[in-house]
Amino acid sequence: MTLPRSFPLFATTFACAFAVLYIMSVQYNLALFTYHPALNQWGPLVQPPKGGPAMYWYGWLATSAVGALALAALACLLPGRWAARLWPGFAWVVPVGVMLAVIYLLRGYFLR
Amino acid sequence: MITFLLIIHALLAVTLLGAITHQTISLWWPARTRTGSFINSVRSVPSMSYVTAIVVLFLATATLGSIIYPAYRLGIRTVLQDYRMFAAEGSFELKEHFVAVGLGMLPAYWSIWRKPLAGDYPRTRAILTTVLAFIVWWAFLVGHVLNNIRGFGS
Repeated sequence: MTLPRSFPLFATTFACAFAVLYIMSVQYNLALFTYHPALNQWGPLVQPPKGGPAMYWYGWLATSAVGALALAALACLLPGRWAARLWPGFAWVVPVGVMLAVIYLLRGYFLR
Repeated sequence: MITFLLIIHALLAVTLLGAITHQTISLWWPARTRTGSFINSVRSVPSMSYVTAIVVLFLATATLGSIIYPAYRLGIRTVLQDYRMFAAEGSFELKEHFVAVGLGMLPAYWSIWRKPLAGDYPRTRAILTTVLAFIVWWAFLVGHVLNNIRGFGS
């Protein structure tokens, strides 16, 4: 399978954007949809719990995926000389930073 | 049904764990010569041949995990809260977030392993693989421990 030459740029941008958008979605609860497991119901955007807990994780994933796809597609439109400057290492630096931030945000679970 | 899916989820996770562990070991500690010993065999696997399998297994395991996630949310997390097992609950919260971040890294992981290998970035390739391996190990161990806490099929 032949991939476009811009795929590495797309992939690196996607990894960075997805990680950043994901932690923003978690922190500010920017879910595209909500799932109510007790009722087996889906609802658009963020909804309060109904009949039991509400699950936002699927919505956070969707928000991050849609946003990261859009940003990665935009990055592919950049001039080649700009694109060549993007270090592929950002594909792990940014996600690792986000993972450390998640640990910090959830530290309360381990410090009680 | 949930128990059946949980077992399939676990089997996929074990396969993924083996694949990415082999790949990571062979990246950081490659064998120079083949001696035929067990350790040497682990170190001398062709790393590139694992890439597509790892991506597919990661996606399949995460998808299956997301299908059985509501059962955890309704039946297990509440028990952890009742018993004030905050570290266990927090470990699962970390698992769900780490796996999400890992999903976002998959295109980059796949891209950097494409032939011809991006020879300029061997360290990036190794670290990206190692981060994914860490996520897989974390997810596997947390899932295993939580399953032990709640008990099989309960």
